[in-house]
Amino acid sequence: MTAKFDRRSVLKLGGGMLAASALLPHQAFAQQTAINYWHTFTSQSEAAGLQAVLDLFKAAHPDVAVTPENIPNPEFMAKITAAVVGGSRPNVTMVASERFEDLLAMGALSDMTDRIAGWERRADFDDKRFASITKDGKTYGVPGFTFVDWGYYRKDWFDEAGLAAPTTYDEFRDAAIKLTDASKGRFGFGLRGGPGGQNFVVNVIEAFGSPVKKEDGSIGLDRDIVIKALDWYAGLLVKDKAVPPSAANDGFQQVISGFQTGQTAMIWHHTGSYQDIASKLKPGVEFGTFAMPAGPATRVARLAYAYNCITNDENADAAWEWIKFWGEPDAAVAFLEKTGYMPASTVAAQDERIVGNPMYKAAADTLGFGIPQPSFPGAAGWAQNTVLPALQQILIGQATPDQAADQIIEGLAAAIA
Amino acid sequence: MSRGRAMAALPPPRSTWDAINPLRMLGELSETRYWMYLLLLPSALLITAIVLFPTVYGFQLSFTEMRLNRPAGNGAFVGLKHYQRMLADPIFWLSLRNTAVWVTFSIVIEFVVGLVAALALNRNLPGGKILAVLILVPYFLPNVVAGNMWALMLDSRVGVVNDILVNIGLLDSYKAWFADPNTAMATAIFVEAWHSFPFFTLLIMAGLKGIPADLYKAADIDGAGAFAQLRLITLPMLRTIIAAAVILRVIGLVNSPDLLLILTQGGPGRSTQVLSLYAFQNAYSDFNFGYAGALSVVMFVLLMLFAWAYIRLSKVNQD
Repeated sequence: MTAKFDRRSVLKLGGGMLAASALLPHQAFAQQTAINYWHTFTSQSEAAGLQAVLDLFKAAHPDVAVTPENIPNPEFMAKITAAVVGGSRPNVTMVASERFEDLLAMGALSDMTDRIAGWERRADFDDKRFASITKDGKTYGVPGFTFVDWGYYRKDWFDEAGLAAPTTYDEFRDAAIKLTDASKGRFGFGLRGGPGGQNFVVNVIEAFGSPVKKEDGSIGLDRDIVIKALDWYAGLLVKDKAVPPSAANDGFQQVISGFQTGQTAMIWHHTGSYQDIASKLKPGVEFGTFAMPAGPATRVARLAYAYNCITNDENADAAWEWIKFWGEPDAAVAFLEKTGYMPASTVAAQDERIVGNPMYKAAADTLGFGIPQPSFPGAAGWAQNTVLPALQQILIGQATPDQAADQIIEGLAAAIA
Repeated sequence: MSRGRAMAALPPPRSTWDAINPLRMLGELSETRYWMYLLLLPSALLITAIVLFPTVYGFQLSFTEMRLNRPAGNGAFVGLKHYQRMLADPIFWLSLRNTAVWVTFSIVIEFVVGLVAALALNRNLPGGKILAVLILVPYFLPNVVAGNMWALMLDSRVGVVNDILVNIGLLDSYKAWFADPNTAMATAIFVEAWHSFPFFTLLIMAGLKGIPADLYKAADIDGAGAFAQLRLITLPMLRTIIAAAVILRVIGLVNSPDLLLILTQGGPGRSTQVLSLYAFQNAYSDFNFGYAGALSVVMFVLLMLFAWAYIRLSKVNQD
């Protein structure tokens, strides 16, 4: 039997379906507010950590749909600058503390002072946690998690050589030299002289006694101290040969894989690489962690926070729900367990799952004495485009520490001019 | 002629509506020489918005103070300040020299390899079609993928290239190609050439298809060998295509910092620092769009000069 449709019936049917299709999705999505979240997570463990937080958030807030967008670190400033200038800002952006001043100056961040003041979990966070995201009494973000600088060492090699984890720069250098055996392709320290290595140079300079930003807010460097610091740090390769010859180009991946594959005995990084390393080496047996050693003048270990900031006033309430959620202990611990990043919340940091794990002791200790990165407009660009090339030039024999120090000091003067 | 007949020949007087009727006005305009300008207007506006405005804005930026992290003085006209700074900036001169090396060697290698590949593929050998597709694969890869892939393959710890070179005895030990200023630029040029030679292959192959086979047959009869045929027939017949390909690739190489950004970020030291990368760093790390704009204008002028000189010297416009 063949069904017959006249033109009028087909039109009625089509019109009805069109109306239904227009109504149904509207009803389905009307209850959800969509926001996007720009972040710089790149490793597998970081992606797993973010997914864990997203899953918990989705269960707790079915009314908010978060779309994460990965912006790799090297491209981050270009993308966010273009988004701000072009008016296509994301709702929430993960902002590293050293980028705060630049982003604030270009008008990328929304004032969150009142929201934070009225937040029920505000007391869970030490005031210091907000220092790097506050200017002129206004706060522009909430710390999502903490980058705690620390070191990894090959415990099995140290035990074999009868060495303890270093607590000073002298002990560190001695251990690096003793554990180097170039004939076996083994080096004492995986120096990060490539992308991302600039902050460690600044740390060493400060540990030798020349803070970039003084307590009175002035910015400058002591030339003699910078020379000594560069001589010591680059000397680990140039003089002591305790660093792989690839150091001048070694970024995150190279430094981590060098440690994982048994090329290096020690590396400096932050707790965020813990799970990546633990996936290849046995914690407490093959590798251990240590707090950053003390320099000749002071001990410098950075506590940098990844702040979640509202960067678009549209759907700001939904954005605030997502930002707040990172302060929940369950979310913070879930993220830590997947990545190794320490919680920013003081309450979450006291969770038994953290304090009961001896591998996190170095990070817990660092929370007591760690300091934030020097922050001022132009700081990130100066470190990346002046400090790092200057270090590299010493490493490859194109400059002396004196010449490199002059470049760094002149570059700093130009950056703050 | 009577007055009455003359009155009848005149058109009826226009009503007010007729006088302002846009359709009627358009109709009348379409019969004038201004009609073609009206038709060109949308395209002209589009070109102005898409091409001219950004270019003029870029020029204007180079005479302006524009530091996004120093909003106070932004927008102020500073005349030639950025250009004066450039003349005294050693990194600019180093970048200029490195750009010349980067572009010259990349172009020469890409052209030679691309030409050889195109000539080989044009011989219609068995499996040639599959090979033609395979040979284009590098060009289809985004720079980010190609850069990261080669960074891994050339890694001094886990890189397969070092493994092979050590095993066949060409190297004594694994080499950190991008950490040595003597090899960093050469290695980056190798990666760039690998990635982009198919561009030449593709265009030259298209050009080869257009060369009449009779020319080669006649040359054979006259006793011309393969090299003489290449020199006297193939290359002259491809001159226009080669000129276009070279100019396009030079523009791409001068303007695009992405491969070097992934492989070296201008290091070690500044041994692979090129102008495009320097402009990028000034804009997006230092947020100094004024100085970055001035660097871009210099690149623009250099490219224009190159294209003009190259077209004149190659006499391609006389074909």
